[in-house]
Amino acid sequence: MLDGLSDTLERYMDLLSARQKLVSSNIANADTPGYRTQDIDFQSELRSALQGASPQPFEVAGLQVKNDGNNVSLDREARLLAENGMQFNLASNLLRSKIQKVKEAIQSGSGT
Amino acid sequence: MSLFSAMAVSASGMAAERTRAELLVENLANAETTRTPEGGPYRRKDAVFASQPMATSFASLFESHLQEGVAVQEISVDQRDPERRYLPGHPDAGADGYVAFPRINPAEDMVDLVSASRSFEANVAAISSVKDMIMRSIDLFK
Repeated sequence: MLDGLSDTLERYMDLLSARQKLVSSNIANADTPGYRTQDIDFQSELRSALQGASPQPFEVAGLQVKNDGNNVSLDREARLLAENGMQFNLASNLLRSKIQKVKEAIQSGSGT
Repeated sequence: MSLFSAMAVSASGMAAERTRAELLVENLANAETTRTPEGGPYRRKDAVFASQPMATSFASLFESHLQEGVAVQEISVDQRDPERRYLPGHPDAGADGYVAFPRINPAEDMVDLVSASRSFEANVAAISSVKDMIMRSIDLFK
């Protein structure tokens, strides 16, 4: 949109919202028998998102499986929920300051 | 990629947990009910959850593999034999003096109720977090 960094931030926020969706799904299905926790590998997905690929979710391994075959850990999801929120917050503040600079440039050019 | 569908997923979770809590409360209220329209004592009910793909708009159809909501697939009715208590003076007592009572353990239902309530809260937390992200995106224009 504005420059290379803004594009990266945009992809970053896109990917964060995709991950937040998965976290929401995991929380909603915390009591669904047989449901397995879904997640994306953030680091590698960000690298491929910069090339325009869409994220591929996978089933998270190594979580404790309950008697009904469900392996959602609410603690893990709560951590990810907060983490994603903060990262999104940071990225949106950065992007906002970029937009602010452009706006300032436009306004100071109007001669008022 | 819209964040609004994430809210739809959490809302489906809230609706499912609410249904579960309603059934649990019904079980607790009817723990001693010996007469029902179907005849016989009340039978314990429980909700069976199943995940289901969520698609709130055409665009999100393509991304529906990313998110799964939850829905109450069926309401299971306890088919175990009722608990028999010896109460010869009871109007519903059989010829042998035993009355059929529902096989409900209030402690079990209370534990499930707390779990349903906590899961509901987790979904509320998810919605408020997603709402924050949406508000942040809107604030970009300010």
